[in-house]
Amino acid sequence: MVHGHGWTGRALRLWLPLGFFLIVTLFPFYWMAITSLKPNAELYSTKVMPLIVHHPTLKHYVDLLTETSFLQWTWNTTIIAVVSTAISLVFGSMLAYPLARMNFPGGALIAFTVAATYLVPQPLLFIPLADIINRLGLGNTLTSVILTYPTMLVPFCAWLLMGYFKTVPRDLEDAARIDGATRTQTMVRVILPLCTPGFISAGIFAFTLAQNEFLYALIFLTNTDVRTVPVGAIAELVRGDVFYWGQLMAAALLGSVPVAIIYSFFVEHYVAGLTSGSVKA
Amino acid sequence: MAGSERNIFAGSRRDFLKAAAVGTVGSAFGPAAGWSATKTLSLMHESSFIKAYDQFFQKNLAPAYEKATGIKVNYELASVGGLQTRVATVAETGSGPDLTLNFFTWPFLYNEKYLDVGGIAKEAGEKNGGWYDAAKEAVIVGGTWKAVPFGNVGQLMCWRQDWFHEAGYDKFPETWDELLEAGTKLKAAGHPIGFELGHGFGDNHGWLYPLLWSYGGKEMEPDGKTVAIDSDETARAIDMARKLFKQTMNEEVLGWTDANNNKAWFSEQICCTNNAASILFVAKRDFPDIAKVTQHALNPKGPTGQRFHILAPWSHSIFTHTPDPEAAREFLRWLMQPEQVGAWYASAETYYAPYLHAYDNAPMWSTDPRWVPYRDSIATSHLPGWPAPISRASSESVAKYVVVDMFAKACAGASTKDVIAQAVAQLKQIYRVA
Repeated sequence: MVHGHGWTGRALRLWLPLGFFLIVTLFPFYWMAITSLKPNAELYSTKVMPLIVHHPTLKHYVDLLTETSFLQWTWNTTIIAVVSTAISLVFGSMLAYPLARMNFPGGALIAFTVAATYLVPQPLLFIPLADIINRLGLGNTLTSVILTYPTMLVPFCAWLLMGYFKTVPRDLEDAARIDGATRTQTMVRVILPLCTPGFISAGIFAFTLAQNEFLYALIFLTNTDVRTVPVGAIAELVRGDVFYWGQLMAAALLGSVPVAIIYSFFVEHYVAGLTSGSVKA
Repeated sequence: MAGSERNIFAGSRRDFLKAAAVGTVGSAFGPAAGWSATKTLSLMHESSFIKAYDQFFQKNLAPAYEKATGIKVNYELASVGGLQTRVATVAETGSGPDLTLNFFTWPFLYNEKYLDVGGIAKEAGEKNGGWYDAAKEAVIVGGTWKAVPFGNVGQLMCWRQDWFHEAGYDKFPETWDELLEAGTKLKAAGHPIGFELGHGFGDNHGWLYPLLWSYGGKEMEPDGKTVAIDSDETARAIDMARKLFKQTMNEEVLGWTDANNNKAWFSEQICCTNNAASILFVAKRDFPDIAKVTQHALNPKGPTGQRFHILAPWSHSIFTHTPDPEAAREFLRWLMQPEQVGAWYASAETYYAPYLHAYDNAPMWSTDPRWVPYRDSIATSHLPGWPAPISRASSESVAKYVVVDMFAKACAGASTKDVIAQAVAQLKQIYRVA
């Protein structure tokens, strides 16, 4: 809460910093947008003001949609992100609930292991994972990344959900148990519905991570028709030392739209999920 | 070039392409059908800068081979910059595609995972006027051919004919000293030179190693065990780089990577850079006015009277894990026959300069005389680390930008003595020299 001293104080303390951060945050999107709308001659020209589009064109968008498999990549990315996020939320909640609400030997060690698993860098894992994927005959299939993304998403979701589960009062759980609910029923019918913001928050994070993931998609998906947007765009639109800037920016802009829409719908739950556990219940 | 070899390319480039495309379908040069139970082979490549090149394999070569033998060839394209990660993964796991494209020194990095393809390479050489020595430098590991050479993506001087003409130069300077003189005038006229000094992957090595070699400098002695970079020749090469930087370039080149000089070229900010032929390809497509005044030239000569170029080889290898090595070898042998590989080269115009002498006068070279220096540069091209044997250590030196940083730090203000001392320390560590 900002307590200003009149209009000037409010402008200096609230609107000026807010405007600054707004510009910093939105400028990359603005740059992507204007770059994607400039013809090549204008894109490279140093003689015109670069922050304005002088001769707007949709050529880069047309080329992106007609000369590459961008729509197929978008579909692949969506399928992969949705399915791997769903898998990760299910397994993440199954892992997080007992760690947050039950006392059993080794619980702390398992919780630590979950965090440690998330911290293992991808470059250490991709070769053994590639071996497994090849042995299963899943190379160049969407299943290969749908199965490997949860290796990083499950620990992440579990860790985030653990914090949220801990904020739900134990009294609610005890009341359900006294009324005859089993442990599973208590979890499914009482705890999980109360933790919807946590799931939304974990889901958005997991979806974004899955959508942006590069290394596993690069290794496991080599055919054009199974690629995701990040790998497809780099593979098709960066060739040697030649960058197709207009199409790259068009792809980046279009690729960021789905996440932006999801964020805009769930932003309040998302913030609530992130801040859960920050204050004792 | 032998007359018989020239006959292969009689007629125009377009005729050659058509004939070759048809020829690939024909059986006259095809392998014997039914020799193998293998049904599919996979060849990994990186997305080419020339789209028509990848499309030619997918639409002509692969279907032709399937028709001739019944074996389907999957052409797996990796992202630009992503192929080495794929190759490392496939080599380490021992599963995946049967064949791969290599860049630079990869046959030396993964040699234990590659089959001996000497038979195919020697046969291709004998039938096509022999290989350039530079090609052998890139693929023969410990006396064994670990890859079949394909082509060279040369790094040459790309210069603005109109601005050089205005400054009084109708041809590109022959020596580094002359380039310094011309560049000084051109910078004063508002047209600086732009050579990359940052951590890119090609355009930095493309002029710095040749500069070092043309002054008589080298990283290691030919024995591959003795660090040789601390020499008067190296010091003189560094002094020339420093003068070029200060008198002919803008400071931003210190942070450039490979995309920056292309951008500066199309923004008409620089009069000369060191690059692959990609600049002229793009200029012809998107910037026709710039294309008209874009010229190529061999790198300048140094005080030794010699000029050098960086070798940027492409080659093909077969993984040891392939279930049917003979099927993979037979495919590679078929691919290297003129009817196939000649048409494949032509589909990319001259971007992949063939390492076989039979192609020295192929029609593709006459489409535009500005491509020709890329052919002529092969004879004086070497891999980084030369004259020492190419090894994992020489690759590590490239990956750590030892030579690039030595020059770049000197240009940024460090003393010649200091930058050489740092390079010596790094090379001793890399080559495990006591």
